[in-house]
Formats: sequence, structure tokens, C-alpha cells
Amino acid sequence: MTGPVGVGIGWRPEIAGFVAGLPGLPFVEVIAESVPAAGPLPAELTALRERGVAVVPHGVRLSLGSAEPVDSARVAHLVAVAELTDAALVSEHIAFVRAGGLEAGHLLPLPRSREAVTAVCANVARAQAELPVPIALEPIAALFDWPDDELDEAAFLTEILDRTGAHLLLDIANVYANARNRGADPLDLLDRLPLERVAYAHVAGGAEQDGYYHDTHTSPVSRPVLDLVGELCARHRPPALLLERDGNYPPAAALRAELDALAAVGGLPVIT
Amino acid sequence: MNPTSPANVPATQPTGPTETTLAARQAALVAALVAGAPPPPGFVPEALAATRTALLRKRAGEVARYWPLLATGLHPRWLEVFQHWAAGRPPAGAPREGWDLARYLHGAGELPPLGADELACRQAGYHYPEPGRPPRPRRLPSWGRVGGAVAIQFAGRVRLLRPARRQP
Repeated sequence: MTGPVGVGIGWRPEIAGFVAGLPGLPFVEVIAESVPAAGPLPAELTALRERGVAVVPHGVRLSLGSAEPVDSARVAHLVAVAELTDAALVSEHIAFVRAGGLEAGHLLPLPRSREAVTAVCANVARAQAELPVPIALEPIAALFDWPDDELDEAAFLTEILDRTGAHLLLDIANVYANARNRGADPLDLLDRLPLERVAYAHVAGGAEQDGYYHDTHTSPVSRPVLDLVGELCARHRPPALLLERDGNYPPAAALRAELDALAAVGGLPVIT
Repeated sequence: MNPTSPANVPATQPTGPTETTLAARQAALVAALVAGAPPPPGFVPEALAATRTALLRKRAGEVARYWPLLATGLHPRWLEVFQHWAAGRPPAGAPREGWDLARYLHGAGELPPLGADELACRQAGYHYPEPGRPPRPRRLPSWGRVGGAVAIQFAGRVRLLRPARRQP
């Protein structure tokens, strides 16, 4: 499998200094839309590349799940960032972020219907036709479902992966959040997903608010999420785990401890 | 939905609760989440409401990150003020939203001095941003004035000449 190996972290400007100080870091993810297509890369990312740290461009605005064809300018941007970072893999979401001329500002779920499968596969194919490297697709966390689902989550995702040949970017915090908010067992999904297709897994912390668990990326990774990473690894160890943190940044020691915990549960080399 | 409806029907038919194409249904959902449209039929209203609130909270965080002085000046009411202003208003990106909120508060006489300082500096340094776009820097010397705050920009450097009057 092409793609990252080991424990990585989502690169964000706010923690660039912390990330630069991780001696064993094998890879980072960078939000593709945060990098200008014409370059240059942020200096800290260039320094990481020169150290041999791999970069996975992670798109958040392609809207592969839109019923309309994916915006070719946005695909071209992801292609440019993949080339700028000399990436071996890019990733995006199974979601839509805009419709009818309005931006939602966040990743929204698709109906788990055959029509939606067809739409998202067509868009993934359009992106794959331009991308120089493979793509991994990430299922999202959502607080609601569409009223007319024809497939369950595992069948929906497997169908999309089978038809596109894409890798899976499995976000364990999303699996946890979705199951918790629906009173379901997250292991049921893990047991039915094609785990051998996982290119890497996301891990993040969230918070309970208004009766729902929100995947905020602004809290420490909780014990149940870490345990679920363990359950994933017990079934099929993914090549890489990535910690996502998007705000409310803790002291460096706390972030290092989270990375160490990921290495321990995943049986991967310590990077701190 | 009608499972026999083809995916390639254009979404130009009238919108409403009878919509069946994926494009139209996605548009109705986004409108309900960010533009104050009624919830599409069949969805659990509480789950949509929670999503709407979560989207507003996320936007508030993004605007606070881009407009730190504005958000700090409104502390501890930042989230409440932002959510009140942004509810039903489609997202336009943090640079534009903070700019619009600061203008709105200025018009209402509720812009805190730190927010006035920040808006004056942005006006001096940048053109008013297009929705969803980063603001373009001004190339010619320029200035910004919001209430008592005055900022100038020369050769790309912005300086706050005079801060807004602080409450005694």
C-alpha cells in the first residue's frame, strides 16, 4: 500500500514549532485548501519535507458527495498541492459541503442511497482522473441521518470503495461519535468494514454538548476512543495513525503524551 | 424519495417538500442548516437543530481565530453575539464574516474598542473580502477609520495610529 507509515499529526500553523520538534515524525497531514496552489509551501512544511517527513494533503472542500460534478478548479488545486508536497497519497471525505449555491461550512452526510453512491463514485472518478497519486476516502461524523437510507454505513462505504478502488481513511473518533450518538456498537462497523483497505486512521478528541457527542478535535483523545483504536488494531493493524488537533492546543507535554499513547496502542514506533 | 428518479435530472424544478433529485434535496438541507429555511421532511428535527448549532459554533471559532481582537473584545459574550448575528446567514468565510459582524456592531453602537482597532487595521491593509476568499492586500498607501480608531498602511505595513476610545 502506498501511503504513510507510523504515527503522524495534522500539521497546523499554530503547532508548527511543536511538530518541527518531533524527532521521529514519519508523516503529517496538511489541509489542502490552506496551501496556495502556486506555492510556496509554508517554510516549516518545506523544512519537514527536507527532513524526509511525508506529507498527505487532506482536502476538506472538494465536496465529492455533491450531486453536481466536482469543481474541476478544486480538483486542480488538490493536484497542485499533491505535487508541491511530493505526496504519495491524498485524502478527502465522503461528504458534501455545498449545494444550491450555499456553503454549509462543514462536512455533511449523504443519504445512504444507491443514487448517492453513484454520485460520489462519479466525482471520485473525476478526481482520480486528474490526481497523480491514489486517494483515500474518509467517512465523516454526523449528528443526523437522511430519512430514506437504503444501505447501512458498512454497505454504503464498502460499495463506494469497491467501485472507486480508493483507499479508506478511517476516522476512529468519527466511528465512535456516530455509534455513541445513535446508541449503536462501534465494533459492529469495524467488524464489517474492509479494514485491509485502510491507508491510515484518524484519531481525535471530542466533547459532549446538548446531548450529542461532537467530534471537535479540540479536546484530548478519550480513553474509549483510544480503546477503539486498539480494537481496530486487533482486527487489522493500519499502517499509520494520525492525531488530529484543531484548536484549544494543550501544552507540548500533553500533546506528546497523546502521540505516545497512539504509538503504544498501535504498536508503532514512538515519535516524540 | 422515488428510487426510480434518474440522477441526471437537472435541479431546476421548483423546490419544495416534493423534491426528489439528490441535488435539490442537498440544496434544501443546506438551506435549512445555514439559511433559515424550514427543515426538509423526514429528518429528525432535534438532530438538525444540533447540527445547526454545531455549525454556528464552528464558524464562531473560525472567525475568532481570524478576528482575535474582535472576539476578545466581546468576551465573555462572543459566542452568543456571533450566533445571534450569524443564525440564518449563510457562511461567507471567516475574513468576510468577521468584517461584516464588526461593521454591523459598529452600526449598532456595540463594537468594542478592540474590535474597532482591528477593523480599522483591516480596512487599512486589505480590500473588503469577497465571500469565501482571502482578503486582497491593498497595494497603495491607505487608511482605515472606525469610530475613534485610525490605522494607516504604507508599503504593506499597517500601523494603528490611534486606538478607539476605551470605556472609562
